[in-house]
Amino acid sequence: MSLIKSISEKFQKSSRGDGIVSEQFIKQEVLNRLATVMDPDLHKDIVSLGFVKDVSFSGGKVSVTVELTTPACPVKEKLRTQCKELIDGISGVTSSEVTMTARTRASEQRATLDSLAHVRNIIAVASGKGGVGKSTTAVNLAYSLAKAGSKVGLLDADVYGPSIVKMTGVGAPKEMQGSLIVPPEKNGVKIISTPMFGTQDKATILRGPMVAQIIKQFLTQVSWGDLDYLVIDYPPGTGDIQLTLSQIAPISGAVIVTTPQEVSIIDVRKAVEMFVTMKVPILGIIETMSYFVCDGCDKKHFIFKSGGGTALARQLGVPVLGEIPMDPAVASFADQGTPIVEHNTAGASAYLEASGKVAAQLSILNSSDAKGLNHFQLTWESK
Amino acid sequence: MTTPSDENVRVSNIWQQNDRTLGIEWTDGKKSLFDVVELRRACRCAVCVDEWTSAKILDPKKVSEQVRPKNIESVGRYALKIDFTDGHSTGIYTFNYLRQLGN
Repeated sequence: MSLIKSISEKFQKSSRGDGIVSEQFIKQEVLNRLATVMDPDLHKDIVSLGFVKDVSFSGGKVSVTVELTTPACPVKEKLRTQCKELIDGISGVTSSEVTMTARTRASEQRATLDSLAHVRNIIAVASGKGGVGKSTTAVNLAYSLAKAGSKVGLLDADVYGPSIVKMTGVGAPKEMQGSLIVPPEKNGVKIISTPMFGTQDKATILRGPMVAQIIKQFLTQVSWGDLDYLVIDYPPGTGDIQLTLSQIAPISGAVIVTTPQEVSIIDVRKAVEMFVTMKVPILGIIETMSYFVCDGCDKKHFIFKSGGGTALARQLGVPVLGEIPMDPAVASFADQGTPIVEHNTAGASAYLEASGKVAAQLSILNSSDAKGLNHFQLTWESK
Repeated sequence: MTTPSDENVRVSNIWQQNDRTLGIEWTDGKKSLFDVVELRRACRCAVCVDEWTSAKILDPKKVSEQVRPKNIESVGRYALKIDFTDGHSTGIYTFNYLRQLGN
């Protein structure tokens, strides 16, 4: 038998899908082809990134699992289609199944505190001043990430003006786990906020050191459990609480919320400088109240000067994560205690898109190579 | 992420070099050695340096040559804190400040 004939027979055999050789051949071909699929954020192919798992082939059918770095990947469906098309193009393959899963990479800055030991990423949502829609953004970011399949917690650190309980309609904590408070859940998101521990209508009058204690308890005495993302709603400005948070919690990255006006942007710069001083990476900017979509003509009306957030992002060299339109539904659903992302409106889709970009930025950060020590402690040995 | 490179430099290794020298290796590969008595004298906390005028309150001569750290621990991802044997523990040394001192 000639060599060529022998190879072609093996090929024949492999396309019928039986025998060990064909299985190996098809599996290798699947990997070869998937090695041409690039992750748009990490700029490497999905095979060298180790995303392709469990390739199997039997009876003409290829099954592949692609494990992404976040369930909130904005291009998940696009990647799936791309993989499927490449696999279906292999001769001998009659059908294929591409399963997309995700294992969120832990932030380089892993917590050493017990309560935060299984929290993979901590996202600070901050702004330079109040009234820019920071809490609304924190809530919707949390729900958007959860909607994409991530395990999410939401910590309301805006002790003087807590609004998360009102916006989400969450109840009070009911049980303890050892010495830790079990955070109540609403629509799958674990939430902690000060009004849970007092009356909502009473103003919170607290001296600085008390506030620091509360923040510390929220981080260290709450059973956060296994979380992909813990979203922290920062109080506006650059004060005591912000400092305390960044000293206790290893913040993975900060999302800065701003409106398009000039004054807002000036304050935002201060917030950014604070995070830079504390070596918390800025993930990007979310601009709220960007425009208003007229219900009569569907035209985008830019009520404030447009592009303020974009200009700021360019100055700082960070991405714009989202431009959220003025959507009356955002406010009304927040007042009713249901998050907007559960509804189909312009505001909701803007938040879903923004959350995908936040997750993508964290993935980029977590896979970067420069590894500093997360937490260190050195006991000096004196003579 | 896009701040100047020095802004992102953090500690990649920290050790006790000898009785009074602290060693730090930074994420950019640079190594610095610090005399711990000088570190105590260079403390910038509000007890040692006036918060408003930045005038030095601590008299370096009053810091004993025998002072040593007891414990050194990271603060967030930007600084470290030293507990000294003279009871002083309020000083937070930012990585940027240590890089300046190390030059």
